[in-house]
Amino acid sequence: MDGSAQRVTGAAAEQPRRLRMRISAALVIKVASVCSFLLAWQLATTTGLISPLFLPSPGQIVAQSQELIANGELWSSVLISSQRVFAGFVLAGLVAVPLGVIMAVWWPAKAIVDPFVSLLRPLPSITWIPLTILWLGIGEQQKVAIVFLGSWIYILFYTLASVQRVDPLLIRAARNLGARDFAVMWQVILPAALPGIIAGLKITLAISWSCVLSAELVAAQSGLGALIWQGKDWGNLPLVLVGMVAISITVLIADVIADRIAHLLLPWERHRRG
Amino acid sequence: MPTILSAEHVTRTFSIGRGPDVVAVHDFSLQVEEGEFICLLGASGCGKSTMLNMFAGFIQPTQGRVLLRGEPITRVEPRCGVVFQSYALFPWKTVQGNVEFGLRMQRVPADERRRRAARFIELVKLQGFERHYPVELSGGMQQRVTLARILAADPEVLLMDEPFAALDAMTRQEMQEELLRIQEESRKTVVFITHSIDEAIILADRIVVMSARPGRVKAILQNTLPRPRHVSIQLSPDYAALKAEIWALVESEVHRHDGDTRRTPR
Repeated sequence: MDGSAQRVTGAAAEQPRRLRMRISAALVIKVASVCSFLLAWQLATTTGLISPLFLPSPGQIVAQSQELIANGELWSSVLISSQRVFAGFVLAGLVAVPLGVIMAVWWPAKAIVDPFVSLLRPLPSITWIPLTILWLGIGEQQKVAIVFLGSWIYILFYTLASVQRVDPLLIRAARNLGARDFAVMWQVILPAALPGIIAGLKITLAISWSCVLSAELVAAQSGLGALIWQGKDWGNLPLVLVGMVAISITVLIADVIADRIAHLLLPWERHRRG
Repeated sequence: MPTILSAEHVTRTFSIGRGPDVVAVHDFSLQVEEGEFICLLGASGCGKSTMLNMFAGFIQPTQGRVLLRGEPITRVEPRCGVVFQSYALFPWKTVQGNVEFGLRMQRVPADERRRRAARFIELVKLQGFERHYPVELSGGMQQRVTLARILAADPEVLLMDEPFAALDAMTRQEMQEELLRIQEESRKTVVFITHSIDEAIILADRIVVMSARPGRVKAILQNTLPRPRHVSIQLSPDYAALKAEIWALVESEVHRHDGDTRRTPR
């Protein structure tokens, strides 16, 4: 018994050394890859191979972003878009996670909601823009509504699937150990479904971001989507590209934060072998 | 010894798709005495797990009754603790959390819970692994946790569904010894399902040989090999004689179903 535990750690210690080597080698290649791409881009634009009317050079983009950082516009755009995503996403989670759990454990609820889900699912969030503008104007509420409408169904699906996939043997084992309905729900079904629900939330977070950006592209005075649209209206191509890069980086950072939170919430998933 | 667990003319059928109902267990009767170690021995698909699921109250008989201390079992019965073949540990709970689960359900106060969990973790020799998650443990260690979890909950009967079938031969032997030691100490009633003749002879006081589908009692053999027992009992002539007797019973079962695509007992 002790031997088997040692075997596991022994094998695990052997592998990371080679794995670490490969990870650091891959990092070097990644950096080199990006640098040479940027260099080629810079050369192509300064030599006139690509007209700056179609694609600004990396240098122009850096200059533009310095200006936007200096006057605070970049930061405020990131902040306002993040707030919209956060509000819509949390709202969607608060509605869809409990609803998904109820639908999974009580079939009449699923029968009631299913037809609406089937009809609403094919609609991209953009199609809600006319109605939401009519109902809520073009302020914050409308952006949050677009995020909500574009996100909740995905959270619902992931929650429903995760709860339905809970191993019935675990529920049997819990009941056999004396658990009643309430304990089965809180001590077994929810923790067992949690990794799946959190994975679904992470995927949905990226979808929420695309929702807010499309809403901001169509009708907004502020936010990263609006920033890009301003660039287009003013013929300021570097501004468009700064906006796009800012979106990329913001969503990546949001992803890292989500990963961290998932890591904290699922301590038992950290130890998964192989 | 008084009867603790009994099955009276139990029949269980399953409806599968549009085909005719499958009779998993037919007219099965058995009386288990308190403190007894019973093995249900039979080929895969002979309905022995179905029988165990009825003793646990997971499913109900189509006909007949299963009784615990004379009362019919009509719902999941915590007094009949199950050890599952695939462990069924809670992956989000540590070894400690898993072993304490039954006590928590019984609303045992925290310090008492910790004390009892520690005792059973020690009994299955897992001291030092209290804070590990199941995924970090080997199969044999996980099965030990399952055993500790059910023993801590202190059921009156242990129902064990081929608990060691997924383990390698060495670990299985170690676990059999462990179980013999624990059972001989605690004198718990055990109903143990297996398809291994050797395992049945090493462990049981009585061996119930089940016929192939539909499962019924083909023979009940008293195992008089001395206790306390050790896996080395396999080397004795009495062991060989008993094994030959059971082998003959099982083989006639296999031949009865020649041409059927059923697996033979191992």
